[in-house]
Formats: sequence, structure tokens, C-alpha cells
Amino acid sequence: MTRRLVVERRLFFVFAAFMLSVPWLIPALASVFWVNVITELLIWSLLAASANLLFGYVGLLSFGQALFFGFGMYGVGIGITQFGLSFWPAFGLGVVSAMAMALVCGIFAVRLTWHYFAIITLVFSLIFYFLALTMKPLTGGDDGINFTLPPTFSFGGTQWSFTSTNFQYFFILATVAACFYLMHLVVRSALGKAFLAIRDNDARASLIGLNVYVLRLVAFVMAGFLAGVAGALFAFFGRYASATYMFYQTSGEAVVWAVVGGVGTLLGPVVGTSLLILLREIVSTHWEHYSLIVGALAIIVVIVAPRGLMGLWRDWFDRSRAREQGETQAVPHTEPRTEP
Amino acid sequence: MSEAILRTEHLTKRFGGLTAVDDLSLSLARGQLHAIIGPNGAGKTTFFNLISGLLPPTSGRVFFDGQDITGLLPHQVSRLGIKRTLQIKSVFNQLTVADNLWVTRQAGKRFLHPFRAASRDVDTRERVDRTLEEIGMTALAGRLAGTLSYGDVALLEIGMALISEPRLLLLDEPTCGMSPAETARAVAKIRELTHKVDIVIIEHDMEVVFEIADDITVLAQGAILASGTPGEISVDERVREAYLGQPEDEDYVSEAENA
Amino acid sequence: MDTLLLLALNGLIWGLIIALIALGLSVIFGLLDIINIAHGDFFMVGTILAWFALEITGSFWVGFIIVPLLCFALGALIQRVVIQPIRGVAALSIVATFGLSLILQEVVRMTFGATPRRMLSPIPGTVPLFGIQYDVYRVFAAVVSLAALGAFFAFLQHTKIGTWMRAVRHDRDTAIAMGIPAQRVYRYTFAIGFALAGFAGVVAAPITNVDFRGGVDLLPVCFMAVIIGGLGNLPGTAAAAILLAVMEGVIESFATPTVARITSLVLMSAVLLLKPQGLFKGHTR
Repeated sequence: MTRRLVVERRLFFVFAAFMLSVPWLIPALASVFWVNVITELLIWSLLAASANLLFGYVGLLSFGQALFFGFGMYGVGIGITQFGLSFWPAFGLGVVSAMAMALVCGIFAVRLTWHYFAIITLVFSLIFYFLALTMKPLTGGDDGINFTLPPTFSFGGTQWSFTSTNFQYFFILATVAACFYLMHLVVRSALGKAFLAIRDNDARASLIGLNVYVLRLVAFVMAGFLAGVAGALFAFFGRYASATYMFYQTSGEAVVWAVVGGVGTLLGPVVGTSLLILLREIVSTHWEHYSLIVGALAIIVVIVAPRGLMGLWRDWFDRSRAREQGETQAVPHTEPRTEP
Repeated sequence: MSEAILRTEHLTKRFGGLTAVDDLSLSLARGQLHAIIGPNGAGKTTFFNLISGLLPPTSGRVFFDGQDITGLLPHQVSRLGIKRTLQIKSVFNQLTVADNLWVTRQAGKRFLHPFRAASRDVDTRERVDRTLEEIGMTALAGRLAGTLSYGDVALLEIGMALISEPRLLLLDEPTCGMSPAETARAVAKIRELTHKVDIVIIEHDMEVVFEIADDITVLAQGAILASGTPGEISVDERVREAYLGQPEDEDYVSEAENA
Repeated sequence: MDTLLLLALNGLIWGLIIALIALGLSVIFGLLDIINIAHGDFFMVGTILAWFALEITGSFWVGFIIVPLLCFALGALIQRVVIQPIRGVAALSIVATFGLSLILQEVVRMTFGATPRRMLSPIPGTVPLFGIQYDVYRVFAAVVSLAALGAFFAFLQHTKIGTWMRAVRHDRDTAIAMGIPAQRVYRYTFAIGFALAGFAGVVAAPITNVDFRGGVDLLPVCFMAVIIGGLGNLPGTAAAAILLAVMEGVIESFATPTVARITSLVLMSAVLLLKPQGLFKGHTR
């Protein structure tokens, strides 16, 4: 098993190196357009990560992460258009309002479990979707609002802003990477283990002294944070905010990305989102009905590979190792479900 | 005469028309291993559920070491030092044996650090290692709890109860479903533990009860039928009628008499 | 005042139609433990098929008969291909039904197109009702929905399969132990769920937009009816559907439809949090 971790670590470095060289590598191989695709993909993988944190590590399936995404997005959008905020205050507004929303909703939602939790997260997100639709002067409804972005950094005469594709890419990469790193820390920490215990057996967890309600709430707010950051980045990226992204379709897609990639793994969301979004971009130039593929993939993954692509990779690796070493015991099923 | 470790006053639990625990007042002294026995449906597990906070009582009070713990939530009761195992053995199947112990140890803390790597907590790691040794599962530390044999799961549960330095241990049918070898192992372990911790066990296996209990309470239909030493219980007519009245059990009875 | 009456009556009709759909959702949820995100799309498929039936045969009534049967068959097929294989991973069933929803919408978009269309009412004309002139077809829709509701409840009470369904919903393990073929019951349940929604779609087609997104709007309402009525409480679900629709209709008369929808959603949240077993008395599951 540790051999696999070593391999995964190496693959991760290759991946990181690739990501750092994208602004130069990709235009050379394809075109600048794909740099933007990858940028957008990073943002969506953060939303998938937020669903993954709740589902994969705490056992709560949320169908409403789009709500917090929306607050992050509109926090930035409304902050800039209505309050004339500059970059960082708008960013802060987006993230803080998303977390506050997560706290308020979580206080109620986390009292429920299983199907009811999924339903109520769906309902909460719908309530705010409809509110956003009604408050059209403020939010632009489904059409959304457009705005120009103030610069990110400006000292003296130099300004760095999102008008530069490279700066935009690196800023988003850095932010998303930082968020994933935070998730990595949490998963390895005492809090992370408590989450896993709750996901596994919540009755036992409360018997050993864990306050299941509070811990779930903490996880919910953390996931709200991730979704809020994703929303804020999205607003920065597109200079655009629209109520459409608060609809449950967005929440559902985030869950599908996380499940396809591998629920309960750290990089599963990135893998799943990348695959599905790249698929979308590639297929939609030739065929407009790529949704069919997304839908079919969702079903197939659930039936054939419920642990997602990461799960498939791990099973395959462990099995070929076992064959190599001539072991006969069944390795796959003794694998812990979650690893960094 | 020191304060009883566990005391209940008129503890009652009703579910609609059914009275599961009926005006139970008992007092369990320190330093003894208490057994609670009784036919199925006598209210034994409900009694444990009331004490550990999984169920709120309909009326009555529960006192732990003099402190009123009636109505506290499970995790609060747990924090006070009362640990219990469940009738149906239940651990964290997707965590390793070591992690099961680890997380149990951590659970008592007020603050769970969200960013510091768990592995850096040397203190906890030492305790986990020590407990693993105590229950004899050091070799199995890395195994997923879901893959353990039934007997090992029971031992793990006891380990989890131990690692949190309990003041009172409630064991619900610890030998249920075990082979004779596993039972002997568990009984030996429990006996060792009585030196450190007050224990109350619910048991059906009369051999075990008469072997290790210092004090027995017999429940029937939610109320106390009799209580006393194993010797006293074995000759109590009401108990014999209600519970030990089958010919097969008379062997145990005579064993107890001669114990 | 007339508008209020009109909207309330419309609400009532819609409530009956939604009751049919919500009942399907409830039995699927109750028996198969699945949150069927695609259920609104089942309704939508019904409207689309009704439209196609009209296009192809020139008669609405052909569709009226055939579409529910088609939907039944489709439901059985989907259950076999998609639902049955995932029985072991209930938590992920939402993901699978979400995928199903995407597929259904896209297939419809491919065949029917993205533009919403309207169907002509098969029974033109109005009839005086409570002092206003009311659509004959809507009255017909109400009658037929009521009949369908009645038929469904009768089916549950008096047929072998209906009894099996009730048994499995009440206590799955005992039912199986008594020899009830669970797989067959699941298949029937899913098929009936689709058929009910599809039938509601046919009935509703002339009075609503026929649109590939038509199911998306309906899904929250159906969930609301199921939750507020109480899981496992079928009459309660039907009653809740009617009350919700009437309530939304009434609110629409002095506010926007969106506000009406928000009100229902808030009500639903309150029920979920305070009385998850629903507002109505009935056997809770």
C-alpha cells in the first residue's frame, strides 16, 4: 500500500509541474482557449471538492452547494456593482457571506440525516435561487450581471489584474491549490479522523464522546467556505454572476464530478471535474448533446465503479501489485476508504 | 460507607403503553463487578440506554458518583467517564484498529485540531500503543476493523472503552455470540479490568455471571426482582422460577453454590 | 375576485395532477428508498409523448390511452437497467437518478427540440362554473385525475400486486420472508410511478407548455407534497399536493409565482425540521 502512495506522490508532482507550465505549454500545443478551460475547470473542481468534503468525509450528501457558490459569486458581483468594492474586499464579502449562509442553513440542515438532509439542502438552495430570480434589479436574475474587475494588486505604478490571462490563471491556481492544501491538512488531522468516525457510525461516535451535531456543522461551514471561494473565483473569472448557477443542476453536477472522480479522496474531485469538463469542451464542438454522456457516465460510475476513478486506479494498482508479489489474499477490499 | 458509583431513583421509561423500565431504584457500590441479568425484554439494555443518555427517562433520576446525570446527552455522559459497549458489537468498520482507538481517545478532548497532523500527537499515539498491548491486538493494529473476527471486535470495543480512562464501564452482553475460547479470553480480560475500573455487565451466559460477578441484580419486566451476591441469587426462589427454572440451568446453580 | 376564483380553481386542477405525480414519487421513495430526481422528467416525458401522439395520429385521445402504457413499459425498463443494479449503494442513487434526468432531458431535446410548444385543447369551449366561465377541458382534467387517484388507491387495496406493494413498504424483510417477490414489486413500483407521472403529463399537456425543461419546475413541488404529506402517507401526500397547489394559486393572485413558490419551499423546510413525518396523520414509516 505504501508503494502505491509513493507512486501517487510522484504522479502528483508530475501533475503539479504540468499545472505550473500550462500558460506556456498549452498555447504551444493547442491554443490559449484551453488555458481558460483549465482555469474554469479548477474553479469547478473546488465546488466538487466542497461536495466531496461533506459526502466523502462526513457522510452527508448535500444537493445544495450551489447555494454557497451563489453567495460567493454574488458577494463579489454585488460587492463590485452596488458597493463599489475593490478586489479583496469583494472577495472577502463573497467568502464570508457564503460561510455565514452555511452556518445559518447548517444549524437547521445538520439536524437531519440521510435522505432528509439531501432534500433540505436542495430546498434551501431552491429558496435562494427563487429569491435571486425575484430580486432581478440586484441580481440580474437568470440573465445575470456583468461587471468589470478592479485590479487584484496595485502598488505604485504596477497593476496586476485578471485581464492578463496568465495572472488570472496563476491566481486561481494558487487559490485552489491553497484550498486543497487546507483540505489535506484537515483530513489528516484529529478533526478529520473524527469526521471519518461520524461518517462510519454516528451512533458509536456520540457514544465515545463526539458531539456529532457540532462536528457536522463545522464540516458544513467548511464546505460552504470552499463553495464560496469557488463562486467568488467564478465571478472574477467571468466578470459575471447569474442566478442560473444557483439552481440545483449546478449542485447536482458538482456531486456527479465528485463521485466520478472518487468520493472520499482528496484529488478525486479534480479528476472527476477535469474529465467531465474536458469531455464537455471536446464533445460540444462536434455534438451538442454532451449532457447525454454526462448523464450516462453518472449512471455507469454508480453501477460499475462507485468509488470513482480514483477507486478504480487504486484497485487496479493494488491488484497488479498483489499479482506481482504472488499474494493470494484479496487486497482491494481491505483498503481504507480514504487517503490523502 | 462510600458513595455508590451508580444510583438510580425511581427510574422509569415508558414507550407509549409499554413500560420498559419500571420504578427502578438501585445503588451499585464501588469496587465491585455488578451483573444485571434477566429474561429477554426485562429492560436491561433500556436501562443502559437510560444511563448512557441514548434515551431520556420518563421519570426518575440517575446519579453517577453523586452527580445527577439525568437527561444528559450521550456525548456528555461519555465525557463524564461512563463508557459503554453495545449489544450488537459496533466499531468503526472503515477505520483501522489503531484509528478506532485513536479516535476514541481524541473524542474526549474539547478541541479537535483541524490542521495539525494527527500523527504528530505523540501522547495519544503512546496511549494507543499501550492499549493495543493491553488487549493483545498490537499485531492487528493496521487491520480494518470491519475485517476482524467477532471476538476481536469485542476486544476492540473493550479497548475503546479502556483507552478513554473510564470511571464506569457498562458492558452490554460482552460475550454474546462468542466461541468458548473467545469467551474465556474476554472473561479474563474483564477480570483484569475490575482492578482499575467499576464495571456493570449485562449477561445471559450464567457461567460467566457466576464466575466473575460480585453482585447480581435480576430484572424482570422492567423492575428489580432480586439482588445480592451470586450465592444469594442462586437460592432465591423467585429468581429460580422466573429465570433459572429450567433443569439445564441447575448445573450452573449448583456450581455457584459450590463456588 | 373572479381572478382569485379562477386561480384557485386552476390551483385545484393542478393539485390533482400533481397529486398523481407525487404519489408516484412517494411509492418509489417509500419502497425503493430512492430519491428520484428524474421524477419531474417522467411527467415531462408524458407531455412530450402526448404531443408526439397528437402529431403522429392526429388524435389526442390515442395518446391518452397509449402514453401511460408506454410510460409503464419505460419505467420497467429503466428499473431493470439503471435502478436494480444500484440497489446496494442507496446513497449514490441520487447521482444515478440525476444522470437519468440529464439523459431524459437531452433525448427529448434531441427529438422534440428546445422550443416550448403548446397543444390545442382537445375539448374546446367553456362552461359556467361558480359564476365564471371555465375551460371544459380543465373540468375534464379534474374529473379524470380524480378517477385516476381513485383507481390507484383501489389498485393498492384490492389487487394482489397492490397488496404486495403495501406489504413491502410496511415491512420489507417480513414481506420477503413471507415469499413476496421483492424484485418484481420494485419493478412494478417504478413502472407505476413512471406511468402515473406520464399519465399526469398527458392530462396536463393541453394546459401547460410542452417543453423539455417542464419537469424541472415540477420536481420541488412533488417533493414538497411528499414531505408535507408525510412519507408513506399516500392520502396525505395527495391532500398536501392539492393544498399546496391551491395555496400557490391563491398567492399568485396577489404576488408573483416566484413568491408563491418560495412560500411553499419555506413551508416545506419548516415541516422537514419540525415534523419530518409530515403534517397529516397517517401510518408513519
